[in-house]
Amino acid sequence: MTCAEFQRELPLIIDAGGTEEQEEHLKSCKVCCGLVNDLRYIADQAKLLIPLYDPSPKVWDGIEQKLKVEGLGKPAQARRSI
Amino acid sequence: MPIRKSAPVEDVQALPASGAPSPQSVSEPVTAPKRTVVTTPRKMLASGMSEAEAIDRAKEGDSGCFEALYGLHKRRVYSLCLRMTGNTAEAEDLTQEAFLQLYRKISTFRGESAFSTWLHRLAVNVVLMHLRKKGLPEVSLQETLEPAEEDGPKKDIGAHDQVLAGSIDRVNLERAIESLPPGYRIIFVLHDIEGYEHNEIAEMMGCSIGNSKSQLHKARMKLRDLLKITRAERNASRSSSRQLL
Repeated sequence: MTCAEFQRELPLIIDAGGTEEQEEHLKSCKVCCGLVNDLRYIADQAKLLIPLYDPSPKVWDGIEQKLKVEGLGKPAQARRSI
Repeated sequence: MPIRKSAPVEDVQALPASGAPSPQSVSEPVTAPKRTVVTTPRKMLASGMSEAEAIDRAKEGDSGCFEALYGLHKRRVYSLCLRMTGNTAEAEDLTQEAFLQLYRKISTFRGESAFSTWLHRLAVNVVLMHLRKKGLPEVSLQETLEPAEEDGPKKDIGAHDQVLAGSIDRVNLERAIESLPPGYRIIFVLHDIEGYEHNEIAEMMGCSIGNSKSQLHKARMKLRDLLKITRAERNASRSSSRQLL
């Protein structure tokens, strides 16, 4: 199996696992092994990204205003300041 | 080549006693933001009210409880919108729209999945609808979202340079994701950050599972290129600083 053949199949096998032949190629090829490790590393790092930012207060103000206009809800007056 | 799948995370968060959200008092998620799989209502208000009770009250029109739910989930919904659009103003508008839809639809929540899962799916749909209105396609991702060949990732045949492991920090990864072409970014955010499976993404995006896998792979390849460029620039900058000393 060549690197080109392996990498053509990579999108389908990286998360699910490959055939024996593909596994063999991976073991013996530094280039493809490095590539797979990089892609897995990126995926693992992405899983660790936590939501860091709150929306600005105007988002809630906008929601509250729209709910009033649409008559959908009672405004939560006192609760906001607590 | 099985890739590790993260175990489901239970994120127990607290709300202030009144049920009113405040940025200071809403606790941070401390683990990876995978979609929460919660079989029992573990999220509690500091007053002792569970999230499930807050949901029930919000269904009856209690706007205070709805506001409490907003406080509990706003950060994750906003982050999702921000990562999918890469634009602060759009993300805020979409967060607002997602919670308005939540208010209108909360009575249809039956508790068959975790509330956060349900809300996130709702938010994803809001973002996708918005992107479609902006001109991103409903049907064929491959044809219309795919960047020009010259912008796409290249095969890595014969080249062997340093591996990325240990060299990515959160800021650079966030930046690289932001600079991905929209089609790649959406799939990457949904799969690798939000934890959706390819069949779910295919259903939401109206594409095939193979297409979703292909787009994800291209996104990761593109990120790899971008992160290597960032690392090379950083190393070059360090080495020129050293020479100046």
